[in-house]
Amino acid sequence: MTDVIRLGPELALLIAAGLIVLMDIALPVSREAARTKRALGFALALAGVAGSIGWSAVLIAADEQGEAFSGTLVVDDFSLFFNFLLAGITGMIVLASADLLARTRFHAEYLALVLASATGMMLMAGAVDLIAIFVALELQSICLYVLVGFLKDSRSAEASLKYLLLGAVSTALTLYGMAYLFGLSGATGLRDIAEFVSASGGDSGTRAALVLATVFLAAGLGFKMAVVPFQMWVPDVYQGAPTPVTAYLSVASKAAGFAVVMRIFLVALGEGLISSDWATMFAVIAAVSMTAGNLMALVQTDIKRMLGYSSIAQAGTFLIGLAAVAAQDPQLLLGASSVVFFLGAYAFTNLGAFIAVIAISQKIASDEIADYAGVAKRSPWLAAGLAACLISLTGIPPTAGFIAKVYVFNAAVQADLVWLALIGVLNGVVSAYYYLRVVLNMYAQEPASEETFQPSLSLGVAMAIAVAGMFLIGIYPNPLIQASESAAAVFG
Amino acid sequence: MLPEWGQVGFLLLLALLFPIGGIGFSWLLGRLGIRPERPDRVKEDTYECGVETEGTAWVQFNFRYYYFALLFVIFDVEAVFLYPWAVSPQRLAVAGFVEVLTFVAILFIGLAYAWRKKALEWL
Repeated sequence: MTDVIRLGPELALLIAAGLIVLMDIALPVSREAARTKRALGFALALAGVAGSIGWSAVLIAADEQGEAFSGTLVVDDFSLFFNFLLAGITGMIVLASADLLARTRFHAEYLALVLASATGMMLMAGAVDLIAIFVALELQSICLYVLVGFLKDSRSAEASLKYLLLGAVSTALTLYGMAYLFGLSGATGLRDIAEFVSASGGDSGTRAALVLATVFLAAGLGFKMAVVPFQMWVPDVYQGAPTPVTAYLSVASKAAGFAVVMRIFLVALGEGLISSDWATMFAVIAAVSMTAGNLMALVQTDIKRMLGYSSIAQAGTFLIGLAAVAAQDPQLLLGASSVVFFLGAYAFTNLGAFIAVIAISQKIASDEIADYAGVAKRSPWLAAGLAACLISLTGIPPTAGFIAKVYVFNAAVQADLVWLALIGVLNGVVSAYYYLRVVLNMYAQEPASEETFQPSLSLGVAMAIAVAGMFLIGIYPNPLIQASESAAAVFG
Repeated sequence: MLPEWGQVGFLLLLALLFPIGGIGFSWLLGRLGIRPERPDRVKEDTYECGVETEGTAWVQFNFRYYYFALLFVIFDVEAVFLYPWAVSPQRLAVAGFVEVLTFVAILFIGLAYAWRKKALEWL
């Protein structure tokens, strides 16, 4: 029974997804029923998210922490942090999808897939066994493949196919790395693998095989985190997918990917003799991701593609924290907590940016940055929100992005990775050009038409939450810093 | 550790040499004129024995087969998962029974969905 209680946050989402499908097939097929179904599905999805957040809060209040299901899953501060983060993101995505759902007849499918994929992401953060991690990874990926192709037009289908094929390759690579780990240690539990690594990692043959496994795992999970050189799918998929799904991919899927990477690398492969190897690897990937992502974002004319490349650059910045983790053992926690903090801050910022893009793009019927000219005159609040989020992505105070970058760069400097922090700062300057170009376009250019517009209610609410959260973290970051420190403490 | 990996490498080498050696030797014999080469229609067939092939493989299949294939795989896997439980239901007790019921219930939602959305009908 304890097992089921500890799995509560995930179960709440899964039950909501099941109920939505049942509701869809129980109600008759007609135009009036479609409206009821949409409202009901929407309510059920939000109820599931609320239930999930509530259950996580109960787990904290009751101090119900520990392993579940024979040590395959764990409830600790780290998984609870991600439960809140991922459930919150899912709730925002459901709100942001209201306009999309009004245009399609597959409401139930969409909402059920979003919730099921969120379940997979939560399990990714809570799994401490290679098999459980893999199943969770697949649960979220397969739902996302379908969601990316949801619009069923040629671009969406192309995006979905590309995502499916590259996702399958990345899954194979991950599995290969896991197979190596299992073959060497004879265990699938991360703690057991850690014991094996510290006991016999000194042997040169074992070490070579461990490095090989590490490279495969980093490559496979690199697809999920969308870092260079595993970023080929990002621009096409981000552009082709429905915008709420793009937002979901760029925030939730990425956060869950980082959660898994931190679990595997810090718990199973955290031993000093092997972590010095992968820390260097992550440092190089971080530097390349930031630079390549930013340089390619400079020349984009489509705002979704631009945000796609920017998310690659941001992922590179997260990786600085991960590289700082192992470069110096006492800094383990600072690096890890900086990544967790950055993921939280980035979630609000990027969600805000994408929700504004959803609201503006469907009104002006274009994703081109040039068509954003003069939006500030037509919809002052949306333009202000988008501008604030882009400023936060650049890393200018008093926003969440600024604190997050300072946190990560501080971790890098403390871990003697000054060169990496320097590259990060230089990249921040480069990124200011393309982020602020959008802001300039919205404020300094003349609009194509004088007609003003407002976002729909649910989009407006989601936008307000995102922007408010972003400023709150920027001005008063202490609660989130404490939360991410206690989340990172599980690796101590 | 390394010698054990060496054995795997030796096997790999053997596995590569086997087909390469066979094909290469046959080619060599052909070049030297020792191996006769007399192709005829039966030899060139896709299957030398069995049902005669009809047309090419590049035809369009009705996509509805896909639904059936998908549903078949799902219930195939269900059967695979039920076997280990069915072997020792007593040891797994009530908890095991509840878990299996949950699993079947989730699949049932899927089947009900497919049925209701007319995936099982051949239009």
